[in-house]
Amino acid sequence: MSRLEAKRPSLCKSEPLTSERVKATLSVLKGVVTSCYGPAGRLKQLHNGRGGSVCTTSQSAALLASLPVTQPILKILTTSVQNHVSCFSDCGLFTAILCCNLVENVQGVGLTTTTAIKLNKHLLSLCTEYLKSEICGCRIPIDFGSTQLLLCLVRSLLTSKPACMLNREEVEHISTLILRAFLLTVPENAKDRIILGKSIIVPLKGQRVIDSTVLPGVLIEIPEVQMMKILPIKKSDSFKVALFCASLSGDLSETGEGTVVLSHGVSLENAVLDQLLNLGRQLVSDHVDLVMCQKVIHPSLKQFLRTHGVIAMDRVGVALMEPLSKVTGTQPIGSLNSVSPSSYGSVKDWCTAKFGFKHFFHLIPNETTVCSLLLCNRNDTAWDELKLTCQTALHALQLTIKEPYVLLGGGCTETHLAAYIRHKTRDEPESILKGDGCTQTELQLMSEAFCSALETLAGSLEHDGGEILTDRKYGHFWSVQADSPSAVNWPDLLSRCGCGLYSSQEELGWCFLRGAHHPFMPQTCLPREASGSANDLTLDCFTAKLSGLQVAVETANLILDLSYVIEDRN
Amino acid sequence: MVMACRVINKRRHMGLQQLSSFAETGRTFLGPVKSSKFIRDEECHESVLISSAVRLLENLDLTNAVGQLLNEAVQAQNNTYRTGTSTLLFLVGAWSRAAEECLHLGVPISLVVSVMSEGLNSCIEEVVSLHVPIRNVFDLTDNTKTFSGLETSNVSLFPFLQIPSGTGLRQEEHDLKDVTSQSLAVCSLSGRPVKSPKLFRPQAKVETDKNTSQTPQVLKNSLLADTRCRKSVLTHSRHFSSRDDNHWISKPDGFLEQRGAAAPKTYRCDELVELEVGLSHGDHSSMKLVDEAVRLQCQSSGMQHGSSSGPFLLDISRLFTWCLPGLPETFSCVCPGYITVVSITSTAVIKELQHQPTRVVLIEGDLTENYRHLGFNQSTNIVTVSESTKFQQESLEELWTSHVLQVLIRFNVNLVLAQGSVSERLIEKCTQSKRLVIGSVNSNVMQAFAEASGAVPVAYVTQVKENCVGSGVYVTFWRNFPFDAAVQIQRIAIMLKTEGMNLVTVVLTSPIPAQMQAKEDRFWTCAYRLHCALKEQKVFLGGGTVEFLCLSHLQILAERSLHKGNQGCSEWLRNTSSWLASSVALYRPTVLKCLANGWHRYLSTLLCNTASYSSECEASTFIQQHLQNAVDSGSPLSYILNEYSKLNSGIFNSGISDKLEEIPRVYDIVTPKIEAWRRALDLVLLVLQTDSEIISGLGHTQINSQESEGFLFL
Repeated sequence: MSRLEAKRPSLCKSEPLTSERVKATLSVLKGVVTSCYGPAGRLKQLHNGRGGSVCTTSQSAALLASLPVTQPILKILTTSVQNHVSCFSDCGLFTAILCCNLVENVQGVGLTTTTAIKLNKHLLSLCTEYLKSEICGCRIPIDFGSTQLLLCLVRSLLTSKPACMLNREEVEHISTLILRAFLLTVPENAKDRIILGKSIIVPLKGQRVIDSTVLPGVLIEIPEVQMMKILPIKKSDSFKVALFCASLSGDLSETGEGTVVLSHGVSLENAVLDQLLNLGRQLVSDHVDLVMCQKVIHPSLKQFLRTHGVIAMDRVGVALMEPLSKVTGTQPIGSLNSVSPSSYGSVKDWCTAKFGFKHFFHLIPNETTVCSLLLCNRNDTAWDELKLTCQTALHALQLTIKEPYVLLGGGCTETHLAAYIRHKTRDEPESILKGDGCTQTELQLMSEAFCSALETLAGSLEHDGGEILTDRKYGHFWSVQADSPSAVNWPDLLSRCGCGLYSSQEELGWCFLRGAHHPFMPQTCLPREASGSANDLTLDCFTAKLSGLQVAVETANLILDLSYVIEDRN
Repeated sequence: MVMACRVINKRRHMGLQQLSSFAETGRTFLGPVKSSKFIRDEECHESVLISSAVRLLENLDLTNAVGQLLNEAVQAQNNTYRTGTSTLLFLVGAWSRAAEECLHLGVPISLVVSVMSEGLNSCIEEVVSLHVPIRNVFDLTDNTKTFSGLETSNVSLFPFLQIPSGTGLRQEEHDLKDVTSQSLAVCSLSGRPVKSPKLFRPQAKVETDKNTSQTPQVLKNSLLADTRCRKSVLTHSRHFSSRDDNHWISKPDGFLEQRGAAAPKTYRCDELVELEVGLSHGDHSSMKLVDEAVRLQCQSSGMQHGSSSGPFLLDISRLFTWCLPGLPETFSCVCPGYITVVSITSTAVIKELQHQPTRVVLIEGDLTENYRHLGFNQSTNIVTVSESTKFQQESLEELWTSHVLQVLIRFNVNLVLAQGSVSERLIEKCTQSKRLVIGSVNSNVMQAFAEASGAVPVAYVTQVKENCVGSGVYVTFWRNFPFDAAVQIQRIAIMLKTEGMNLVTVVLTSPIPAQMQAKEDRFWTCAYRLHCALKEQKVFLGGGTVEFLCLSHLQILAERSLHKGNQGCSEWLRNTSSWLASSVALYRPTVLKCLANGWHRYLSTLLCNTASYSSECEASTFIQQHLQNAVDSGSPLSYILNEYSKLNSGIFNSGISDKLEEIPRVYDIVTPKIEAWRRALDLVLLVLQTDSEIISGLGHTQINSQESEGFLFL
């Protein structure tokens, strides 16, 4: 018996942003993401309250993935940030905070939504044009001839994730490993198009971080028993490899629905095994040296192969299939019928290795753009965080090879950009407005909202009650202890700017970031020698940050533009 | 789905408080004298007896996030090293209190994190000077001393408190032939600023005694090279001198060496035994078993290989423990080979098989008709029909059993070891045909038999070929097993052995079944300690020495940064451009003192637990006194070492200055200890930096009104 229930009418809310509840939840979300931001960011414990595993993190990827929000407006925000993170890995928190700040600030301005959105778009293109232009004062071109800046980029990324629990020595070690792993994925003889290889992160939990290492080729974890069975290597410079994605376990997985009736004396299992052994005979006659299977190989087939001098490696797992097929040049074989010789590939060499308590089969391919990053950390929580960070860093390096620039980190890009926009909107408002019906006053108001959103974002790096200054020469970010005696001798109180490029020994004319001050033009065109001299700069990934900026402004515009939320309650 | 978010870091840090209260429960497990605990389950009225941090946390209901992180950290330490968990648990408590103290004093969180982690790093660098190298290896042929000789010795904990007892250790003066003196003679001056330089002589003056010539050592080495087991030499000569002009010199590799004014004098005892006693931390009965096991392994590997490659290591994977609850402790023993029980009905088979080599087959899975290898999905919709009725379902097993038997007969196999379970019918059939089948064999044991007998483990009996069959396994009754007990449980104990197999079975007995688990844990802890020490080739001077050095080192660092101000502090901060970098100097002494308090608490609890002191307050005063002396002396390291030698000579030296008796020392293993510290501090700092807890999947209704305070919903 089915029960009928009257359909409930949909719920329609107008002007969702004006609701107090929405405002409150938005500010909670803002509080969560803001408190995570930067190297001194606070961590969050994520769990399901029922004894599930606990994740301690400050990264947007982990945070947003386990933050099931119900508010439609928050959903828009988190989804677009997650989309950004899935494409660029880095700058997720940046995007989320900037978006929250923009929504909040624009609401406070009191302009009509259309005007605000239009002006926001103008300001965004002003930013992106500046960041992409040659005169940009907060971007450094990357010279791939030296590793210094790339190391700084990786180091900045690692130090901005405190939940990895690395000390200085470990940060150095992991940074070097990440850079090495990345360089191993760059093909040696690049023609006009570079196709990057892959770094596989191999987990080794419970060991010291300092025991992490990078090896060219692929590491396959094997049980100790199997290690014993690996035959000594024949002398040869190349070995023939077959890679199976089909299960060779000998079961009858596809018997379909219904019942299969067999008469006594017929054994399907034996029939399948015979087929497997036939396959084995073909492999042996084709002089295959190594058989790898994503799933299970029947013990009898394994034994058959072994007695014929073929190494059989099963349960390789789906994650390794793509890299294995890539490095060996094999076509994964999906059927048990005859194997086309064109599906075979080759490897240069192999060996076995033991790291920690784990045994590995180490495959050394001819083509060496695949490497394995054996990553150790003391416990699960810290390992997960470190793995995510390493992936982000590797991704950031890949993005950097496409667009060979880095942005100054530590809040300097944000404050510099804010100073630049303030000055531009004051100086040449006409060129920005392009006569689309907005007044200069409206532009001033929006520009103030936009710049203060950027500056508040930079200020979110401070979590211990310090205050933020900016200098009137470069427009960089400086932090100082709260309640410092006002402006007597700034150079004594300050040390370096956020990104580490400038020191306080220069007379730069500091003022409080939040205080009202006259717009100034920050010095553009970063001096060439600046990038070479400092070796401990805080840097951000150019592509990721640029995209984050765009996503944040566009998402904020979308949220501001919402006039109705219609909820289907059935 | 609703996300709840709780701010846990308002005025008092809830996470840190939870950590310290959890850790408090493990306080009594610190040190060699451990008090056991009963954990009672209120619901099902079951109770467990536990005496280690791991078992404690395993049995506690730690459903909250912080508790889970703590459990995870302790389990990770245990899985990797099998030791150091009590230290980890205690330090988590001590340092979470320290971190809380810092917060009360208004130190910014980021500074607490930076200074504490750099402070611990500095300690870890400092304690390198307390490494005692183990200069390989053991010479069992020359070995007259066994562990039992030391059983009665009372090893005390704190170096300044060494309580000797009549140990029958023989003293032996080094002569020119001795290897250790040569290795000692090469010393150099390290420029560590902590140590008062006037104590050291420049390297140029290192005496050029004839002993320093490398020739004898090389000779000796080459002589020893062809025996697997060599003499283990602990070159910690510094303990054995009473002279005031002792010179403690740190070699570049961090090992300490001592030079006296006269020619170097070192004393030697049975070094393996000394190491073992030092690492037993009072648990002599377990270490005695480890000692026997290591000797057996050493013997069998000596037989197997003619020459040695590298130092001999205790092979943990070839140790097998077999627990027999209900028997008195005296039945605990160590035997070469594999010991297990079989049904009493097999007695006749074993009698038959005795005194002759048998051929063996190793089965990786179950030995039953319906067993299929891992990854094989059995189809459920296949029905077999047959024309005649005589083939019944049970005859399928019968058919299989006789097939298995045929295979065993064809290859003349009399012994089958299976990792999984074995069909009862098959056991019965095999017994009739004088064949022995043993199920549930540990995978390490299988591995050992595979190596020694040449058998290749297979999944199915049908796979058995001539080259899979191993040979040379001897089956005998194991007579140590008391007969009445055997009759009672209808089982008999047997021993399986193969030439050259380094598998050792450790039989653990306990009259109280509840203690069985603890006993097994303690055995493994000792085994892993020795394994680790032999692998690392170095140990720490133990008994709290390391911790005391950390304590005094931090004390000195704190005092120095008070005077020196901000110099060289900026590197103590992760983010050097922050304002915090310039405020480090202001807070550093405070944070370092709090961190040092953790060590102080550790040491006083240690003393208190060993009953050296009746109250923690008394113990604390004692430590404070020594701390003051150490700090005043300018070089805590030489203070500690001098106290050590003073103590030894003061008690033992009956006027004959060059004939010193040695008492057993306490040693600690290096990496597991340091890792326990790091893990403890990492956990505390992780929790310290956490400001909110995000609980997913909770409805409003699931958080009751009492708790809901502080929750925010999205």
